[in-house]
Amino acid sequence: MKRLKDNFGEAIQRVDLPDDGRLYLFVAPASLKEICRFIFRDLDARYIISIGADDRPISGKFLVAHNFAFDREGLLASVLAYLAGEKPTVDSITDAVPAANWAEREFRDLVGIEPRGHRYPKRLVLPDGWPEGAHPLRKDVPWNYCPPDFKADQEFTFDDPPEGCVVVPFGPFHPTLDEPAHFRLYVEGEMVRGCEYRGFMAHRGIEKLGESVLTYNDIPMMAERICGICGCVHNVAYAQAVENAAAIAPPPRAEIIRTIMLEIERLHSHLLWVGLACHIVGFDTLFMQSFRIREPIMRFAEKITGNRKTYALCLIGGVRWDFNPELMSELRAVLGRLEEEWRAVADAVGRDRNLQKRTRGVGVTTPQLVKEAGLIGPVARAAGVDIDCRRDHPYAAYDRVEFKVIVEKDGDVWSRIVVRLMEVFESIHIIRQCLEKIEDGPIQAAITDELPPGRMGMSSVEAPRGESHHFVITGEQNRPRRWRVRAPTYQNLQGIPAMIKDQQLADMTISLGSIDPCFSCTDRIETVDLRSGRTRVYTQEELIKSRRTGLINANQKK
Amino acid sequence: MTAMELIKIILGGLANVFLVLLLAPFFEGILRKLTARIQSRQGPPLWQPYYDLLKLLGKEDLEAGESPLMQRGAACLALGSVLTVAWLVPMGFAPPLNAGGDIVLLIYLLGLCAIATLLAGLAAGSTYSLMGISREMMAVITLEPLLVVALVVGATHAGSLRLDRVLDGSVYGASGIPWSGLIMLAVMLLSFQAFVQRVPFDTAEAETEIMEGPVMEYSGPKLALLKYARMAKLVIYSGLLVALFLPWGSALPFPLGLAAFWLKVFGLVLLVTLVAATHARYRIDQALRYYAALLGVAFLALVLAVNGY
Repeated sequence: MKRLKDNFGEAIQRVDLPDDGRLYLFVAPASLKEICRFIFRDLDARYIISIGADDRPISGKFLVAHNFAFDREGLLASVLAYLAGEKPTVDSITDAVPAANWAEREFRDLVGIEPRGHRYPKRLVLPDGWPEGAHPLRKDVPWNYCPPDFKADQEFTFDDPPEGCVVVPFGPFHPTLDEPAHFRLYVEGEMVRGCEYRGFMAHRGIEKLGESVLTYNDIPMMAERICGICGCVHNVAYAQAVENAAAIAPPPRAEIIRTIMLEIERLHSHLLWVGLACHIVGFDTLFMQSFRIREPIMRFAEKITGNRKTYALCLIGGVRWDFNPELMSELRAVLGRLEEEWRAVADAVGRDRNLQKRTRGVGVTTPQLVKEAGLIGPVARAAGVDIDCRRDHPYAAYDRVEFKVIVEKDGDVWSRIVVRLMEVFESIHIIRQCLEKIEDGPIQAAITDELPPGRMGMSSVEAPRGESHHFVITGEQNRPRRWRVRAPTYQNLQGIPAMIKDQQLADMTISLGSIDPCFSCTDRIETVDLRSGRTRVYTQEELIKSRRTGLINANQKK
Repeated sequence: MTAMELIKIILGGLANVFLVLLLAPFFEGILRKLTARIQSRQGPPLWQPYYDLLKLLGKEDLEAGESPLMQRGAACLALGSVLTVAWLVPMGFAPPLNAGGDIVLLIYLLGLCAIATLLAGLAAGSTYSLMGISREMMAVITLEPLLVVALVVGATHAGSLRLDRVLDGSVYGASGIPWSGLIMLAVMLLSFQAFVQRVPFDTAEAETEIMEGPVMEYSGPKLALLKYARMAKLVIYSGLLVALFLPWGSALPFPLGLAAFWLKVFGLVLLVTLVAATHARYRIDQALRYYAALLGVAFLALVLAVNGY
């Protein structure tokens, strides 16, 4: 902090330190890039996300924020700059912070803030048929706006593949991708030489709805639906971000219950992932067994919350579900059985040379790639980078429990398997401690006043896939002015091109699978009607037509 | 050749074809049921593969590929070549087409089975099919010699290329059990999973990587034929392995010999299921290295056999 002041004393306009763990740095736009470079390189902070916001109704300006985490110091920092003008531009920080690649393209598409000097300024979120100059996240654009000159059948323009390579499409629909995302792999023989990613096909406008239609206590319901696997994470992260902004402290019992439910979610998610990873490499027996072992967890979650998934846990300042002694003793029994069975699985997997053969040395990440691409969660921990939001930025009741952060060294798919296998035991350990420490009391803080507008809040929650980061600016009319969600896959997916380069095509699926990708988390915002086939792109109408005639003929090829 | 003998050949051949067609889906059903049990699942009824085939056969015959005519041909050839091989393999009694062919024909026909799959993929012409057949081709080139070596070792010991003499436990020779025979038995057991294209050696189809590879563009009756061929292959290769390496009991009088043969085939299917259920799929380069090592051992066995060991 002091070094920052020494170096950039002039450029720093205002510093907010609302509590020990948060720092807001308002700087002059001209020195934004250099300050970010200093924070990222010299102070060795971890890049989280960049946010663009339309602040014109309040200050007449646009707002850009780059968020960083100081994991060792337990500090989340946001570097903000106000930009004037109707067509604001800001220096791109991708030279200094490569991990900002997607985030800057996203605010260019959605808010219309132009990142000057971006390394790869291609459209990211909006479909190619979307006209220039229409930016859905601006405040003067209604949530259901569709520009009149939107061309739904516009094809996406792909880059040219490198010399000597064949294009192998991977997605948008592929048996091992349960969600739509499109990778164009450049393949030479069986070797992958590079790829181009096209995602954001299932955008639902969640952030826009949160900022324009829903209210504070509606949004947890919406946030939960960002993801079908780790929904509770978004639910808690949103509630905590608002609580952080408005300085509301949920009661201890609520925090313990949040911790328990988050760990229950991690248990079912890791068990699901181990199963899917085995399915991807053709080992269906373990796939079926881990789903069987996972089932009691799902049933228990249903007993507490009424749902196997989508727990609807949080409100601002508390939780909606409580534990009683019967539920707690049942949870203990479920955990006991799970631990025993999972021990057997972990032993079997540890001895399985066949599985190791397929996963060792595959999809390797180095600590350097982790830093440059901003990788997080089990992917980072498997590469020897010791980060875990539960320990580094404690939230809920994580400061009251003890647990180990599992770290492996090799950075390959095998290490990620080991990390997730072992984290299951840590989760069980955490839940047991929570059950010991749970105390009587209310589960909801009384909130009597309206939440003050214009406050900022950040929350990082360690999802099963890595850090899930929510940034909130509180607003008027009982809803946030800006709400930005950064799901873990958003960063981890950006590491994939480096992970799959120069390895076999057969390793592509398990490499991609090993980050436990969640495309619905990543694609949050708009609707796109782009369905691409082999070397051609079918439009929606063509597909409907061909369904009616019953044929997709070879002669439709372009 | 008298008319009587001719009728006997035709009836015997048809009996073999009929047996293979009848029992192949049944073995597939056992395989699926047992796999399900290992995976803590209920599993489909034993008759499910019959229903599946019937359903596929009754579907509309869509043409979705580069050259529909060739695709249809390839699908027919796939099943046809497997069934032709059935005429040359003893199934509880001497091979029906004993007089008409020798093991060289058998080797060629087995090659044709593989070529049918390649054709099917090539004719479909999608990226994934082409990747599938390039993998299949690599596998065939390293795998087929294994079988050839096994047959030649048998022929060397038997001193004949005749089907009934080679396909009768010939690898063990007339007197005592030679080293070469034991080595070949080990090699064939280790590579059997690859011949019947099951996990861990189903790289050419690899659903989670290249979406069934060569057969991905097929549906309806054509898919039924390709699936049937795959099921029949399991039976035929099991039969070949039994005839070459596990001849004991085949010489028993009529119903017992037949029963012994099918029991041994059944045992092999169980083995295939167990291995498939407990392994992850190998990558094509890992599989090829494995086959190459086996091939090296097989050649050693051939050298031993030629020298009378």
